[in-house]
Amino acid sequence: MGADFDRPLVGRFEHLLQRDLQKAENEVSGLHSINMGKSKQIGNHNSTRKKSIGKTWKTKRYTKHLDEIHADMKPSNAAKLLKQEVDHDVTGSAQHYCLHCARYFVDAKALKEHFRTKLHKKRIKLLKEEPYSHAEAERAAGMGSYVAHKTVEVKTQTIEEDMD
Amino acid sequence: MRIEKCYFCSGPVYPGHGTMFVRNDCKTFRFCRSKCLKNFKKKRNPRKTRWTKAFRKASGKELTVDNCLEFEKRRNVAVKYQRELWSKTVEAMRKVEGIKRKRQAQFIFNRLKKGKQLEKEEDINDVKKNIHLIKAPHAGKAKVMEEKMVQKLQEDVEMGDD
Repeated sequence: MGADFDRPLVGRFEHLLQRDLQKAENEVSGLHSINMGKSKQIGNHNSTRKKSIGKTWKTKRYTKHLDEIHADMKPSNAAKLLKQEVDHDVTGSAQHYCLHCARYFVDAKALKEHFRTKLHKKRIKLLKEEPYSHAEAERAAGMGSYVAHKTVEVKTQTIEEDMD
Repeated sequence: MRIEKCYFCSGPVYPGHGTMFVRNDCKTFRFCRSKCLKNFKKKRNPRKTRWTKAFRKASGKELTVDNCLEFEKRRNVAVKYQRELWSKTVEAMRKVEGIKRKRQAQFIFNRLKKGKQLEKEEDINDVKKNIHLIKAPHAGKAKVMEEKMVQKLQEDVEMGDD
């Protein structure tokens, strides 16, 4: 009698075990995707960064592309961007601009702090590669031979220190 | 009208297909499907996205430098229609395509040869290391010992006889 009673219980446990196994497998595959460097998911709980993944791709939050920044880095354009007129609608009246991250800062101190962040350093690293272009896409498609992309020298802008 | 190439994956964009994005500095980007457009919006680098042609070329997976790749080009020169030229061109395109396919296939075949060689070396190493799983290290030794003992005994017996 007891043996009969036990049987369905064991069956139920087996089912649970299988589910756990599947869960573990899913977790492993999830980890794999993180290793591939594609998932932008950060943390498991209510972090502010996690919430805004979709929103960062919205048009109203559109930031500059890397090739646009490469154009900005040309000396003539860079001079204009680094010495902008006072505009009270922009953060810090458009006086403290990071050329490579295309971002305005409140004051010189914040800008200087920004240069030390991982965000800025990563951006500099990305900019060291020649930007991807439609011409390269066409070459990759078989229109002409492949030309390896060059490296560009990029350095963080220097800020003029106030003497007061 | 021409068949454009996708900015992200370098696939063909036929007339009436895909999307074109015009940035506010008048630069245009063509995409063959929404997948490519979405990846562009996410600011992914086609050189580092494994399924794009750009990645495959950049990492040496495909034939990159060859004369057969120099025929197809954006020439931007209008040519007056001539029946003979047209038919000859089409014939040439067919031939070039055939040669291109052969060379690309040969390139990939040669690239994979290295892997086959490495695999063979690995297999040999594997067998060398794990031979004990097939044949016990002291297998057969006991028998040899036994035979030796028997021989010795026999010799002893013979010695005793004398």
